[in-house]
Amino acid sequence: MTAVEAGNDDIRRIEAEAVPTRFARGWHCLGLSEKFKDGKPHTVNAFGQKLVVFQSGDGRINVLDAYCRHMGGDLSQGTIKGDEIACPFHDWRWGGDGRCKKIPYSRRVPLRARTAAWTTMDQDGLLFVWNDPEGNPPPPEVTIPRIEGATRDDWTDWVWTETIVNTNCREVVDNVVDMAHFFYVHYSFPTYFKNIFEGHVATQIMKGTGRQDTRPPAKDGEPRLLGNDSVASYHGPSFMIDDLTYHYDTMDINSVLINAHYPIDANSFVLHSGIIVQRTDKLSGPAADEMARKMSSFILKGFDQDVQIWKNKARIDNPLLCEEDGPVYQLRRWYEQFYVDVADVRPEMVERFEFELDTARPVEAWKKEVEENLARKAAELSASTGRPA
Amino acid sequence: MTIRPDNRLLDAPMQPVTCRRCGAGVEVRKASWHQTSVQWNADAAGTCQERRAAGPGVFPGCAALRDSIVQAALDGEIAVPEES
Repeated sequence: MTAVEAGNDDIRRIEAEAVPTRFARGWHCLGLSEKFKDGKPHTVNAFGQKLVVFQSGDGRINVLDAYCRHMGGDLSQGTIKGDEIACPFHDWRWGGDGRCKKIPYSRRVPLRARTAAWTTMDQDGLLFVWNDPEGNPPPPEVTIPRIEGATRDDWTDWVWTETIVNTNCREVVDNVVDMAHFFYVHYSFPTYFKNIFEGHVATQIMKGTGRQDTRPPAKDGEPRLLGNDSVASYHGPSFMIDDLTYHYDTMDINSVLINAHYPIDANSFVLHSGIIVQRTDKLSGPAADEMARKMSSFILKGFDQDVQIWKNKARIDNPLLCEEDGPVYQLRRWYEQFYVDVADVRPEMVERFEFELDTARPVEAWKKEVEENLARKAAELSASTGRPA
Repeated sequence: MTIRPDNRLLDAPMQPVTCRRCGAGVEVRKASWHQTSVQWNADAAGTCQERRAAGPGVFPGCAALRDSIVQAALDGEIAVPEES
């Protein structure tokens, strides 16, 4: 039984300020870079703007504001000509540095012919764009770390998905600290949970055990899932790398899971998932690729479960937490560093904070719930077949 | 956005603990014997020997500091709520 605190009978009000109008400073992943290397310009709605992404003849991928500074034409409907993107309206040519290089029908380019250009990074098969409302270049210490398996032959290729979600992106970041929702929303079973925030990195360390009531039991000869180990870090406001190992009775499966997003505007974002799986003697050839696809569809299912909650829930700045909840307030304090000018980042936003959760009580309650679910299923089965379970 | 305080800190605030090995000062809160929050500051990070010796990547925590926190709890220097 939960002890109920007596005393204050005032109704607690949910409070929420307006969603921020500025977009987070940091590297944002736009997805697999391959997608942008088809010789065509691409439209990306991000950071409250329309952007054009194009690969210039020199192989670089460039990101510019999509609207031509001449008469407002949409460059993402234009054509790539050499190293430049040509506007479909009057053929003005814009370089990846944001400068107009040529106007074929004019003797010279006017002064001030410069548009907004974003710094990009093509790394491990992924395209990143640097967003900074102050317009500063990305400091090297906040760069996205390399993902070793992404370029190695003994790992699968990326299995990548993109989903549009119609809510403010703080909701997805909150998941870093939300242990209990993994049981109730995603039907997993956390047994160990710790968060560490330091500098621009927020980490979640989680161990879980297999849950018999929500997944069909392994058939004879199939490996049986025992549990999982996960170390997941947000590197900046939007890109999480999760080193995730699944323990089976016959083998371990090592994978890297990406959970990333970029804001479309204040009330919507694009949510990405990516996964690579390590090939081993026991998981070789097509079996590893199949495993990556299976895990990817499992993650997508997880996103759908989150979305069902998000699209009906209230934004809440003053969550009422019990002791078995994670450090929501401290996570949001960390997250705030990306929404203020660099000069206004306060020490408490970046100073190291550790939170190790006591899982004894949740594990006890969840074990009981799983047993009850199994007993009910067995009873239903025996009722429907007329045979004892 | 306003940074709000954790509602749980109103009843039981963070309390200072000094590492018995290096003297680094941190703030600690224990919600139970197995639940611990640790707030570092720049001084502590610069003082902690294990932190300074750690390579790049996530630093999981300092063993000497963990022992010091356990000892502080056993000695009653920081409060640990009774199990209910």
